[in-house]
Order: sequence, then C-alpha cells, then structure tokens
Amino acid sequence: MEDIKYVFEVEKDDFVRAGETSSKIKKTLRELGIDSSIIRKISIATYEAEMNIVIHSLGGQIVLEITPGTIKITASDRGPGIADVELAMKEGYSTASDRVREMGFGAGMGLPNMKKCSDRFCVTSSEGKGTYIVIEVDLKAGE
Amino acid sequence: MNDMNEKYFHSVVLNEDRCVGCTSCLKVCPTEAIRLKEGKARIIGEKCIDCGECIRICPNHAKSAVTDNIGILKKYKYTIAIPSLVLYGQFRSNVGINEMLTAVKKVGFDEVYEASIGTEIITNVVKNHMLKDNKIKRPIINSTCPATLRLIQIRFPELLPNIADIETPIEIAARLAKVETAKKTGFSMDEIGVVFISPCTARMTSSRNPLGIEKSYIDGVLSMKDVYGMMLRNLNNDKVDVMTRSTKESLLWPITGGQGEPLGIENYLAVDGINEVIKVLEEIEMDKLDGLEFFEGMACVGGCVGGPLTIENPFIARSRMKALSKGLPNSAAGEEEIKAQIEMYKEGFIRLTEPIEPRAVMRLDDDISKSIKKMEMIKEMLKDLPGIDCGVCGAPTCKAFAEDIVKGNNRDEVCMVKSMKSFNNGKA
Repeated sequence: MEDIKYVFEVEKDDFVRAGETSSKIKKTLRELGIDSSIIRKISIATYEAEMNIVIHSLGGQIVLEITPGTIKITASDRGPGIADVELAMKEGYSTASDRVREMGFGAGMGLPNMKKCSDRFCVTSSEGKGTYIVIEVDLKAGE
Repeated sequence: MNDMNEKYFHSVVLNEDRCVGCTSCLKVCPTEAIRLKEGKARIIGEKCIDCGECIRICPNHAKSAVTDNIGILKKYKYTIAIPSLVLYGQFRSNVGINEMLTAVKKVGFDEVYEASIGTEIITNVVKNHMLKDNKIKRPIINSTCPATLRLIQIRFPELLPNIADIETPIEIAARLAKVETAKKTGFSMDEIGVVFISPCTARMTSSRNPLGIEKSYIDGVLSMKDVYGMMLRNLNNDKVDVMTRSTKESLLWPITGGQGEPLGIENYLAVDGINEVIKVLEEIEMDKLDGLEFFEGMACVGGCVGGPLTIENPFIARSRMKALSKGLPNSAAGEEEIKAQIEMYKEGFIRLTEPIEPRAVMRLDDDISKSIKKMEMIKEMLKDLPGIDCGVCGAPTCKAFAEDIVKGNNRDEVCMVKSMKSFNNGKA
C-alpha cells in the first residue's frame, strides 16, 4: 500500500489548540516534499475546516489521506449539522455568535474558502447528525 | 570539527573538547539540526540556519561561530571597519559613540564607517517606494535578519516572494564605503578591505555565502566578542574623533520594532525570538493576518541587540541604545536625497538581484511515493517508541530518531528508554 492516513481529533470550543491539526498536516506535507503552493492550499482549507469544527460543532475529526496523486482531507463532526448547505456556501453568510466574531472568526468565508482551495470539494450535512466535508487537491504531474 | 566541504556553508561550529553531550542544544534547535554522535553534539550543516540558539544555551560554551581574525587586516592596503550599531549598547553609559568609534579605529583600521546610512536608506526606500507600490506582495518581510531568511527558505518557501528585495544596512554601508574610499584614495576595490564587526552568527555566513546577491562587499567578519576586548583597552575620552552621523532612528533600528516604527504605518508587526517568528510566519503563510503591510521578524530576542556574539545582555543594551539615541538628531533626508536612494535601489546597486531559492531540507525523499513509504515506516516505528523526546539516543525527538533511521542516517543508535522497566510500567 502506498497510501498514508492520519486521523486527528478536534475538540469543540478548544480555541487554544485550534489550528494544531492544520499545522501538523502542513508539517507532514512539507516532509513528504509536496509542492509548497499545494501545501498552502491544503493548510488554508484544513484550517477553515478545523475552525468550523471548533466553533460550530460538538466535536469531530479530520483525516488526512495521501496517495502519490492526491491529497484528501475529510472533516467530519457529530452535529448539529448545517440546515441549508447552499446558503452556507455563500460568501459572508455566517451563523457564528457575536462573541466568536469578536474573536475574528465566523466571517462566513469558511466553506467558500475551502472550495476555492480545492480541486474537488464536497459538503454533505444532515441536521442533528453532523457535517461531512471532503477536500481533494491533486498533485501536479512530476511532483 | 565542522566539515568544511559541505555544499552549504554555516558558521556555527562545535568545539568537541568542550562538548559533554548534554542534549541542551538538541532541544532548542528550531530546525532539528543537531544530533549527538559519539557523545558530541554535531551539526547537520544543510539544516543549520545559524540562528545561534545553541551558542546561547550551551553551558560549556562548546558552540561558537567561525569568524575571521584580526590578521585579516594585513591582506588589504586600506581597511574600513563597519561596526554593527549594536556595538553602541555594549559599553557603560558614560562612553559616547564617538569614543567607541575612535576605539574601533585604533584596533588597526584606516577608517570607521557607520551602518546608520544603510538603515536610513532602507527605511526611505521601503516607506517611499515599496509601500506605495500595490503590486509588491504584502506583507513585505524585512530582509535584514539572515537567520529569518534562511528559516523562510527551509520552512516557508511560499513567503519568499514577500521578502523586501533590498540589501541589509551593513551591505549597503559596505558598498557605499568601498566606492567612496576608492574614489577618495585611489586604491582599487581589491585593495580596500571592508570588515564588519558582527553581533550575528548568520551574518558571517551571509557574507561568505550571500543570499539574494552575487557577491558581498564585506571582505571579513570579526566577532563583536573578539573586538570588545581590544576596544576596551583603546577607550580614552581625551582624543576623540567626531565621526558619528547616526540618527535617532538608526540607533533604534537594531531593536525589535526599530524597522517597522519609522515607516509611519499602523499595520506592521515586529516579532523577535526564532520560535515566535516561526509561529507568526505560520499565521502569515495561512493568510490569517489580514491587512498586514510589513513584517519585521528578528531571530534573536530583542532584535540584533540579542545577537549571539554580543557581550551585554540584550535588555541592558537596548536601554543604553535608547538613552544614547535621545542625544541624536532625527533623520531628515530631503525629497531629492530620497529620490536618489530609490534610484540607487532601482539600478540594482543596493537591491537583492538574485532569486532566493527554497531549500527543501525537511523532505524525506525527492520521490514522493518513496517519501510516503518512508513516512509510513516512521509512523510504524513511532508506535513502538516512548514519545518522551528525551534526547538520550542523540536525536532531539522520537520522531527525529525514526526519521534518521528511515533516511539511513542512523545505523548505530538505539532507544534505551524503551527497554527500561519504569517506562514499560508507565505505558502499561
């Protein structure tokens, strides 16, 4: 098997550790020798996904999977889910509380940013159950 | 001793006789560039960014920097000293700048040239040219700290285009001094030796192996520690030449914030200490610092006043320099002068004209599928290692230990802790 898989648990409301997972993922990709522009895209997308779990969810996990052709990030949480995914994809739409916004988060750019940073992006969510996001970035030929 | 045949030159070296193998330096190295081998803390040359953290921490003073010695003055017909501005913070407050500069000259130089001119020019060019050009990537990152630049090459290659493409104050001063002196004295450029008196290990490296320029105009680098003693003997306030042209701003320049502050903008960020610089660069790389115009990252605590080759404590030096700055005039370059400086930058005389390339020394293998295999092996090994990063095996962390084995760089060392009874109990 040439694939590699890492699982990171992300706690809700843990703003002190928030960002650790995306940092670890970035470091891993750096060690693998992935092109730095791809690393940047993945880390921005992962950071957004991680912050979403911290701010909005009841907790969840981020999984990094690497094959020689693709990098795949899967972010899943245990709820409460997004009521209207289409609306959430709109830039500037946010359900974050004022408190969270004061801290500089919840600008309503999370999902749109993740999409921008990925080659394939998919978000599914069911209310009360949780949200499941897949971000894929292809490695350029010759990498 | 350090292997001088390495392709990449670094100036931090190990004095083996003094090293007791205590692992202190292993832990503080921000790039994990040190391994204990046969009980001695050896440096992996390509990973060393010359930040000097190991020099500072070593209780036995076994780490130092290669610098030139005073004999280098004999190689030239005319010699110019450029002391780092940090020098002004190394003496008691009753010693004036002119007295210090006179003492430097008496060490054996024909002339002393201050670095202040370089700081003035950089501020003027960044403020009046770079910050006014929206095509230049933001945040603009200062090019002054060579350890920060080398860190960016290794860990933040995406930020290389953000580095201000202007030379350092010392290099600018060296260029101006050499050209002026050649005109004044008739000596050729080769006959004039410009010697930098350095608080900085990384600056030593960058004069031999410059980043962003083809060749440095600095011909030699003396450690401030070495020159300090010679200067002390020469201090004498009876016969003092009035030499200083320093301004308030130039004296504050080597102190954290001294580069950002005179730019007259609100959204600059000044950070010191290599680990804090790493953390903030992480944020910048992830686009988290919206609207940041200028980033001043200094590897040493306090800025250059905290350089590993200084004598005085950085906080004491800082307070002295602030006090000295109060007696100096404000910088007051006129419009014409600034225009001429920007022109000099555009012509390339004080500009970084060569690309600064990324250096992927952190990668496991050049081939990505091999990298993945190696990473899988590391992951497996880590399951079996204690994870306490004790350093006894010679690697700074358990992960580094596993990496070394997978990369084939470690064939002899084993994990002692793994077999210890107390550890096994702990794990169970």
